[in-house]
Amino acid sequence: MKGSVQAARVLPKAVFVLILGLSPMVGAGDLPQRKVKPEQALAIVVNRSNQVDNLSTDELRKIFLGSRSHWPNGRRITIAMLDYEQAERKAALRQIYKMDEDAYRNHFLKEEYRGNVFAVPKTLTSPEVMRKFIFNAPGAIGYLRASDVDESVKVLRIDGRLPDDKDYTLQIDEPL
Amino acid sequence: MGAAYATFSKLTLCLQTLSWITARRRFFLIVTVGCILPARVPAQEHGETAIVDQKTIQQMMQRIDQLEARVHELEAERSIPELSTTANSISPSNSVLQPVGSHVLAEASAAPEENLLDPEKMDVSKTLLHIRGFADFGLAGTTQKGNSAAFGMGELNLFITSNISDKLKFLSELVFENQGPFSPQANDFNVDVERALLEYSYNDHLNLTIGRYHTAIGYYNTAYHSSAWMQTAIGRPFLFAFEEDGGILPLHEVGLSASGQIPSSGLGLHYVTEVGNGRGTRTPINSAAEETVDISNHKSETVALFARPDRVPGLQIGFSAYRETLEPIYSEKIGEAIWDAYAMLARGRFEWLTEGVLIRHNVNGTSRVYKTPGFYSQFSRRFGSFAPYCSYQYINAPVGEPIFPDVGLRTGPSAGVRYDATESVAFKLQYDYTSLRRLQPINSLGLQVGFTF
Repeated sequence: MKGSVQAARVLPKAVFVLILGLSPMVGAGDLPQRKVKPEQALAIVVNRSNQVDNLSTDELRKIFLGSRSHWPNGRRITIAMLDYEQAERKAALRQIYKMDEDAYRNHFLKEEYRGNVFAVPKTLTSPEVMRKFIFNAPGAIGYLRASDVDESVKVLRIDGRLPDDKDYTLQIDEPL
Repeated sequence: MGAAYATFSKLTLCLQTLSWITARRRFFLIVTVGCILPARVPAQEHGETAIVDQKTIQQMMQRIDQLEARVHELEAERSIPELSTTANSISPSNSVLQPVGSHVLAEASAAPEENLLDPEKMDVSKTLLHIRGFADFGLAGTTQKGNSAAFGMGELNLFITSNISDKLKFLSELVFENQGPFSPQANDFNVDVERALLEYSYNDHLNLTIGRYHTAIGYYNTAYHSSAWMQTAIGRPFLFAFEEDGGILPLHEVGLSASGQIPSSGLGLHYVTEVGNGRGTRTPINSAAEETVDISNHKSETVALFARPDRVPGLQIGFSAYRETLEPIYSEKIGEAIWDAYAMLARGRFEWLTEGVLIRHNVNGTSRVYKTPGFYSQFSRRFGSFAPYCSYQYINAPVGEPIFPDVGLRTGPSAGVRYDATESVAFKLQYDYTSLRRLQPINSLGLQVGFTF
């Protein structure tokens, strides 16, 4: 009886030690890493002449909020947004702006009125129009479903990752 | 049968290479061919001459060869990148992709898709003005002797912007407003150019502005400008009342301004410097800003610094200093210095503003110095469409103050509620209690509808 009580006390500890011992063996590389499907990844796109290749998440947010309005070469940034109710726009609002439509509208209304943003974002009707706009406007930045990207635009790395890479964070919730 | 099967196999293979045919169509084609071929095979097996079959097969083989050739032709066409299609659609003269740049942009400007192009290109056939309006109407009454409750039209504000070029922007605020309570024609309206600015944006660290602007003294003046809809409360704190309404701060200037971000990592530091005509003196009747004539060569100077730290979203803290020499016609020159410090937090449903000002006047050639302190603090919290708010304001101009002889002590709380009926229309109800030096306190009640359009 005494032995079984002792075993009952020791057993959880042994299991705990076993788990602890095994845990270092499960390296990060062994864990299944998230890979976003191309049709579900939100690619950040700029004009092909843009020299910028990579942006951090914070930089991306500042650009889309209008707090940062020039590229390093001095060219003014033009923000392009897809039209209301489009899945890509919802994803951009949720993950880049961290706002809903009302907050987004109020933000740009106030910031433009206060003179804090040079120009409010352009609203474009479709991914095709977005591609053409980005293609034509050297300072433009916008977003597309990764499967809608073609060679007319340049895809930026976000925190060093492209939409095809593992752990790319910008995702579209709604399926194609 | 073997030949038919071979034909069918070849045809199937051929159809599978037709990548431009959708899977569904390909399936139907294969099924159709599969149905036709066996139908012909029994005819062969039932005694029809082999010559006819061979002819048929030869014809089919020829047809397949033609189809294969067509497939190669189509695939060759499709192998040209879609990019060139895009380029062609934008600039029909370009048969191949050209480097993206101003050249392509300039050519593309002539294309039918001009709506997609850089909006900064000047096109005389289009207006480049963007107009947004703000307006408000109200009903207010006070217990002050001589005042009666009255409906009132507040301000009709046309906020006009135009991106003249990639670096140049015009911004103006035209306000149709009454003459102010101090005017003998208080019911008359006039047009006030609140702001008219030409801004050159060199980069994020340097923006140059010339024109008539709202001075960078404090937070309230440059946050709400002339929009009642945008501010939570019905009116501005007395400290930041406009000059024509008896306000004590030089809120308008004509001059030159430089502003921008200061590299400061996550601190989000910004600066503003201004050099303007200033105000010759303060009169309660006329706007004090010297629009076109400065009575002296001395210019007013404003320096402001503020921070928007990344770590505390919604927080802005700032400081500003203003200096000017006033030259009233009835006295000696008066040196004026104004210091302001503020903190503002707008986060989620909460909004909190607190701002303190110290105005110092010293009469030149004497030891007389007058210091006027003032502050306001306002807090609001949103519950759905409702946002109750409360505030307290204080200003205390010393007796004998040479520039503010009519101000004295004003202090008291306010409480109200804002109801956003839609995303563009807000109703406000506000009660104010104002205590005055050596005078009866004033109770006020106001109702306002402010909107943007």
